[in-house]
Order: sequence, then structure tokens, then C-alpha cells
Amino acid sequence: MSGFIVLNSGIFATIQDSGRYGYTDRGVCHSGALDMYAYLWSQMLLNNHNANAIEFMTGLKLQATASLSIAITGANLTCKINGVTKAIWQTHSLAKGDIISFEKRVSGQRGYLAIKGGFVLEKVYGSYATTLKEGIGMKLKRGDFLNSLPIDSFPLHRVRPSEIPEYQKPLLLRVLLSYQEEYFSAKEKKKFFHSDYEIGLQSDRMGYRLQGEPINSSKKDIISEGIAYGSIQIPQDGQPILLLKERQTLGGYPKIGTLLTIDCYKIAQATIGSKVRFETIEIAEAQKKMQTFNRCFRTAFI
Amino acid sequence: MHIKISSVDTLIIYFGEGISQEILDQVQRAYRVLKSIEGIIDLTPSYNSLLLEYDIMLYDYQTIQKRVKETLLQKSTHTSSSTNKLIKIPTRYNQTLGIDLKRVATLNKLSIQEVIALHTQTIYRVYAIGFMVGFAYLATVPKQIITPRLSTPRAKVPKGSVAIAEHQTAIYPKDSAGGWNIIGHTEFDDFESFEVGDSVQFVEVV
Repeated sequence: MSGFIVLNSGIFATIQDSGRYGYTDRGVCHSGALDMYAYLWSQMLLNNHNANAIEFMTGLKLQATASLSIAITGANLTCKINGVTKAIWQTHSLAKGDIISFEKRVSGQRGYLAIKGGFVLEKVYGSYATTLKEGIGMKLKRGDFLNSLPIDSFPLHRVRPSEIPEYQKPLLLRVLLSYQEEYFSAKEKKKFFHSDYEIGLQSDRMGYRLQGEPINSSKKDIISEGIAYGSIQIPQDGQPILLLKERQTLGGYPKIGTLLTIDCYKIAQATIGSKVRFETIEIAEAQKKMQTFNRCFRTAFI
Repeated sequence: MHIKISSVDTLIIYFGEGISQEILDQVQRAYRVLKSIEGIIDLTPSYNSLLLEYDIMLYDYQTIQKRVKETLLQKSTHTSSSTNKLIKIPTRYNQTLGIDLKRVATLNKLSIQEVIALHTQTIYRVYAIGFMVGFAYLATVPKQIITPRLSTPRAKVPKGSVAIAEHQTAIYPKDSAGGWNIIGHTEFDDFESFEVGDSVQFVEVV
């Protein structure tokens, strides 16, 4: 059997893909890779088409049970093969018995490890994405075996250095004013767009909690409604929550706006305690940016 | 009806203020009609709104708004073939399983029997599904048994718990944290069959 034995799962590792679409009417959340930019590059490098990949944090250690072709993107977590440091944002060929490990975080939060053709797993509602709260998929754990199809060797592909993000850079995130923006006075909006916010402790695949200037809304709760990816919810304490891939499908807190989707991918790599700021973007410009992004990654989506 | 931008590739359609069967029916009609448009990625209906995610490579926000408006205006020609069903939920109401039954009765100055009678006499409708998979928001509970959420949510509410929060009632499809008042328990397990618009009635079993 070809694939990986999990020697150590690290802090948190799950199987993801681009997500689960078409079921929010049943309460099934999108889930999928939190940093789609890094995930999509892992697919492009291997010429995969929306195959699954491992989304992982520090501590992951795997052993290949056959020759494998993989791609690594995302956070710099000190990638080592048999103890030798290797570059990421590229493909690697592994031989039977090789050990790949990610022991120390340098920058970013989440890495992506994809394998040519993807791991052999069952889809649930059309996707491989793991959503623990829905009982779909599992956290990887020591001793798991991830089965892959046997493949011929695959050429070395690299992401151009100019395309590799610098995760240490402070984030200026673009926001579309939307939803209940009229519940926020000009004064409150000004506060929101002119303050630093710090990423709080309770930040995960569901959402990132921010700490900073509290924002007041004229109404405290609304009738529950569908929550778009990147929604910025303002609960009673005024501290914004950015809702990401594992957000609940419905919610009843007012929302001041929505983060531009490509900026949601950036925040997925931001560490707890780091600072972010917001600026506005208009819908026409936002859509152009998304269209450009989608065109770049067209082949990885199919 | 009014349409607002909700994100770079979603819009939200509001059908009115407040909660009523009439608004729910409008949401449902729109949900069914819009489902058939090409390039719709997700539709999330709720009490008085419908969130629509569209393929940004097919529409920009202006063309999708136009398309949605046109489609909804044509609705009269569309036979709204309702597929809504009635689901019966056999429920055991007692103070062992329904740990807040007493609280609901006391707060509303009713006997436990009266609470059960009021809860079972109403045919509820599924106004929304969310919070977790298969969690159907059922409304509207008779005003005599409207009860606020617990001030501190419980860390674990068992699967199958029948509960009330404000004007809504629901069944927990899974063990979960929750702040609703638990009044009974059901062995019902087909949570994936719930669809927005369905009717639901609780039936007391001993």
C-alpha cells in the first residue's frame, strides 16, 4: 500500500479541499481549506483538480510507505525530509521510508501537504472537507494511515518567489460595507476603520475573534439570517468576530460588513496577538479582484 | 422585498419584517424558484431572508440582482408545487428527561400538564435550519409557553432533547452545548429529512 503513516499529528491536522457547497439550506457549513491561496497552489503544483490535502499546524510528522510525489505550501513550519531542511511552495519526491516533519513554526499558521491525485477517501456531501462539529471526518492522529494511489514520478514544480506571501507583514484587510451597516453610525464606522485590532485567543477554523476598540450597533440582535463567508459580526460586547470556513450557517448578530474573500485567506495565516487594520472596498473593484484570482486558479477548482 | 449586498459573491433578499407564516411562504417560494437558476452555488433560507451565493465568473452583482428580481416577479407563472410534509415527533415529557419542564411551567404560571398540552396542540413550521446540521427552528410556540433562554447555556444537552427558547421550539439532533429549556425527549432520528417550510407536530408518548 502506498501512502503515509502518521507518526505525529502535531497541534491540529485535518483533511480539507475547497469545501462543501450546496447544503447550507440543511445547516451544513462550507468548511474546506482556511487558506485557499496556499491550498490552491498545492493543487496547481501537482496538476491536481480539487483533490484533498492535509491542513496542518506545527508538529506533523509522516512516513512514506512508497515513492510519493507531494507538494507543500502555506506556513513555514520548518519542513524537513529525513532531518534535512527543505524549501516549501514546491513539489518533493519521497522514497519509501522517508520521514517528513514540521517541527518549528517560523511564520504563518497552517501548512498544506497535497499528494499527486489526492488521498483515497470517501466524500461526504460532495467534499472531503473535515468539519469536526458536524461529525464529518476526523483529526489526524498517530498511527493513522493515509492511502494514496500509486503514481509515477512527478517533475519538480516551484511557485515563483514573487507569488509566495510574507506572513509576518501587518495585515490591512479590505471590507465591503454590507448587511446591517446602517446600524453603525458614522462615528462607529470611523472607529472600526481607524483602529488596530488584535487577534484574540479564541480564533479557529470557525472564526477569528478580535480585540480592540468596541463597536456599538444601534440594534443588538436581528432575526437569524444566512452568514456569508468573511462576515464581520459585532456581538453585544462590541468586539468583532470574523466568520470563516466553519462558521454556523445562520446567525443573529448584526454585521457591519464582509471581508473580501481573498483577505480571509490571509487572516488564516495570522497568529494570535498579531494586529490587523481594515479599509473599505467597493463592490465593483472587489468583484474584479475575485475574478482575477479565480482565473489564476481556474484549473485547480475543476 | 429588498435586496442587499452581503459579500463579494453573495446577496441577501429580505421579504419583510418580523416572523410570520406569510413571510415564510414568500421565502420558500423564492427559494424554490431561484434554486433552478444556473450559477447559484448556495441558498440559505431563514425566517424572513434568503442568502444567495452566486458564481462570480457568471454574474456581477448588478446582473444577478436583475436576474433575481425578474425571476421572482415571474413567480405567478411558476406553479409553486409545495413539497412540504408533516413530520410527527413522538415525545416523552417528564421531569427526568425534560429538566426544565418545571421551570417553563413555573415561569408561565401553568401546570406541567398545561405546558405539555400547549406544546403538542400546535402545528409548527420549520422556519430555518442551522446552528448545526439538522437543527430545525420551529415556530411559533403558543404565547402562554414562550420562555427565555437559560442565562447560562449548558455544556451538554443530550441528543433528542425537545426544547423551547422564546417563541421557538426545536429538537437537538446531536449532543451539544445549548441554552434552550429542555421539556422532553424524542427517539426521532431522521433529522436530515427536515426542510424549511415543513410542518411539525409533537405527540406525547409515555
